[in-house]
Amino acid sequence: MSLIINKLYDEQQKQWLIELKGEVDIYTSAQLKETLLKLIEEKQETVKIDAKSLDYIDSTGLGVLIGVLKRLKQYDKVLKITNIKPSIKKLLNITGLDKIFVIEG
Amino acid sequence: MSKSITDYIKLSIPNKPEYVSVVRLTVAAIANRMGFNVEDIEDIKIAIAEACTNAITHGKKEDKNNFDIEFIVKDDKLTMVVCDSGRGCITDEISVPNLNDPKEGGLGIFIIKSLMDEVEITSNLGKGTIIRMSKNRGDDN
Ligand SMILES: Nc1ncnc2c1ncn2[C@@H]1O[C@H](COP(=O)(O)OP(=O)(O)OP(=O)(O)O)[C@@H](O)[C@H]1O
Ligand SMILES: [Mg+2]
Repeated sequence: MSLIINKLYDEQQKQWLIELKGEVDIYTSAQLKETLLKLIEEKQETVKIDAKSLDYIDSTGLGVLIGVLKRLKQYDKVLKITNIKPSIKKLLNITGLDKIFVIEG
Repeated sequence: MSKSITDYIKLSIPNKPEYVSVVRLTVAAIANRMGFNVEDIEDIKIAIAEACTNAITHGKKEDKNNFDIEFIVKDDKLTMVVCDSGRGCITDEISVPNLNDPKEGGLGIFIIKSLMDEVEITSNLGKGTIIRMSKNRGDDN
């Protein structure tokens, strides 16, 4: 069990819908980084991450998301995260990242 | 009154990213056995994983080396010691991240300190780093 990334472009909302399943850590964060940066290269639109099935993320994963947000900001887009589990919400809160990502529901 | 007993569990882990999840599972089992609640177990998993990640990314001298983890179980307290024989660092130079201007990198130790009750880092340039962290089981369990 590691990380599964499902991606879809939502034409109506003009945003990327990304579903993360599993764990983002030192072993899987490169895969996440590569995937997200490639998407933004393809279409410079807001990225919305569904974290319903995201069990775990560590500082390397958070670093990837910060990097992705920086890239998105160049195009005036944002990084949204929805359905966050309590343990991950706590981490975003501790690190202040809940203030720079758009946290939904 | 029963005399308190200290239990020691030791692991030697390869300097490879794929083994960090093994450590997370191991510590979850230990903390669960000790009666920590779900939230505390999550915190403990995150903290030990950050320390292991640092041992692998910053500590390593060579891929083929291992690093060591010791779990010390005493009464309601779980202490974890992660020890690598890597290049070490100057602990005074580890800074607190600026929460208003998040950067990629520099979050790990801050997260560990936020989640654990006690954290102590000792490092010797060229010799290695030891991070020792403890969590007490709360009364709400
Ligand atoms: N085991 C170690 N060996 C050598 N240096 C270390 C070790 N652990 C931490 N450090 C030093 O302390 C710094 C801060 O570590 P910390 O985990 O907070 O951030 P990071 O690893 O650089 O990035 P992040 O954890 O956010 O991915 C590191 O950049 C490194 O210089
Ligand atoms: Mg780190």
